[in-house]
Amino acid sequence: MGQLIAANDLVKAFPASRRMADVLRGHRPVLRAVNGVSLAVGAGQALGIVGESGCGKTTTARLLLRLEEPTSGSVVFEGQDVTALRGAALLPFRSRVQLVFQNPFDALNPRFTIRRSLTEPLRNFGLPAQERHARILEAMARVRLDPPEAYLDRHPHELSGGQLQRVVLARALVTHPRAIIADEPVSMLDVSVRAGVLNVLRRARDELQLAAIYISHDLALIRYVCEEVAVMYLGRIVESGPTAEVIASAAHPYTRALVAAVPVPRVDQDRGDLPIRGGLPDQLNQPSGCAFRDRCPLAFARCTEEAPPLRAIAPGRHAACHLA
Amino acid sequence: MDALLSVRDLAVHYRTAAGPVRAVDGASFDVPARSIVGLVGESGCGKSTLGRALMGVMPRSASIAAGSAVFEGRDLVTLSAAERRKLLWRRMAFVPQTAMNALDPVQRLGAQMMEVLVERGGLSRPEAGTRAAELFALVGLDSGRLRDWPHQFSGGMRQRASIALALALNPALLIADEPVTALDVIVQRQILDVMRELQARLGLAMILVTHDVAVVAYACDRVVVMYAGRVVESGPVRAVLEAPLHPYTMGLMNAFPDLERAGGELVPIEGAPPSLLNPPSGCRFAARCPFAVARCAEDPALVEQAPDHHVACWRAAEAPALRPLASEAATWAS
Repeated sequence: MGQLIAANDLVKAFPASRRMADVLRGHRPVLRAVNGVSLAVGAGQALGIVGESGCGKTTTARLLLRLEEPTSGSVVFEGQDVTALRGAALLPFRSRVQLVFQNPFDALNPRFTIRRSLTEPLRNFGLPAQERHARILEAMARVRLDPPEAYLDRHPHELSGGQLQRVVLARALVTHPRAIIADEPVSMLDVSVRAGVLNVLRRARDELQLAAIYISHDLALIRYVCEEVAVMYLGRIVESGPTAEVIASAAHPYTRALVAAVPVPRVDQDRGDLPIRGGLPDQLNQPSGCAFRDRCPLAFARCTEEAPPLRAIAPGRHAACHLA
Repeated sequence: MDALLSVRDLAVHYRTAAGPVRAVDGASFDVPARSIVGLVGESGCGKSTLGRALMGVMPRSASIAAGSAVFEGRDLVTLSAAERRKLLWRRMAFVPQTAMNALDPVQRLGAQMMEVLVERGGLSRPEAGTRAAELFALVGLDSGRLRDWPHQFSGGMRQRASIALALALNPALLIADEPVTALDVIVQRQILDVMRELQARLGLAMILVTHDVAVVAYACDRVVVMYAGRVVESGPVRAVLEAPLHPYTMGLMNAFPDLERAGGELVPIEGAPPSLLNPPSGCRFAARCPFAVARCAEDPALVEQAPDHHVACWRAAEAPALRPLASEAATWAS
């Protein structure tokens, strides 16, 4: 697989708030929001990163975008290690790896016309003024806002949520990126317009052969846009593989619980008890061994002693479970 | 039908500088005793306004412009404020979207429960203490945690606590506004299970306001689908979700991602709902509806098309033929 963007063993530790007892003992607790994440996405491919709040999926996205400094590990883009790049040296990377914001209602400056919002990134990345208009028209066509003149001189409040999210996507595409990272790209939109935005994203990815990474808590939605999925739990990838296979035959008990919990819009879904216990543990006091073991219905002695590594379990599939 | 709550032609308007916004414009539906009714629709359809109007918790700019809402034989619309206050908590209670809004951040949970039980419920302090522990157990919380502060609770636990608080004085009807929207899927499922269990054990009726068809499918007995301030379809969950009669309901089902449905594409509904400041005459969905005909310029009434299954669409009789067409993306793209 031609890897366009990759993460190698990324770790991000944040200093956690200290209790008085910690101060007295000289103890400095850290929270490993991302704890050894590796992934790779090739041109024209889409990877979904799925997990609950606090699993580290958004921090992973910020590390990949170089908005956050990793504690260790590296980000590789088009074969180049970009982890050490700073300041102006990052500029080309920033124009080539774009973020699609979650909330279209505050991603755009309300005082700017759509044209100005789309011009800004081009100016920032130094595209000559005479080339900007053509770029903007191209991006507007890509996101199916047609005719562009009907939108360019309007302000955000004059557009619907679905139209705004297309503008947000156009702004990401206008710099001709090679990769896009979308954090919950449709979670703020109504169901009836989500599908339209997702279709536009998918077409853009195919036509431009972009590497795409979608961050979402919604496995059902990821299924429609990502061929590959990585499931995160407490800062680690616990399972990855082709989305359809992971959903149909999840190898990790956490993935099975997630699949069982995803709501489906059909009656007669007597899906029994969830195969999971309790809630997310305190991230500073994770259990020894497997981080999932105290919620796992299948945990046994070995899970207490030994953290299962993420290992290949079938062609293209990985899981971090002793039983997988 | 033996309805606990019967809403008829209810209209709720917001006063704005530009004129009244008809957020709810003639809604009719029933909530039978001991049933969970899902009030479903997209942002701006009026579902939250409707839920809040029934509870009498509305912003100053909102007022009930017409209609009735008969609850246990009394019309909530014409009740005096004092009479209404007597019903709150005791006969009907509200669970807001973010549990933090129901809970006082600077009071221990136990103290908040005691306040409701003693001051509103008239229990003695020892009785209230026992009842508070019972209520926590009912929603799956350890009674030892009554001593905790709201910020010590996770989102799911807060939502459980706010449900326990709403149940304090044994109401017959619970109105919950997007009770699981802000929660992770596993926690969502746990909360919905708590709600279903409470309904079965206590014989409660609930109105569950949600944008999520899957929540309705999982937790509700009946569903009321709203669009642009109007009820467009209502009936038993199975009838409405499996054989929708209104093109909007059909579209909503096809736009909703489904983990298990084989292959397929998500089918968007192009366009956006109309402004409720000056809503168009006739069917409000007509502008986005692939099946609209000349007659849709007239307002379709909500009629009982099949037993207990109501719909407001001129072409409802043709629904079986329209359904397969509605599942194709090409039908909606134009």
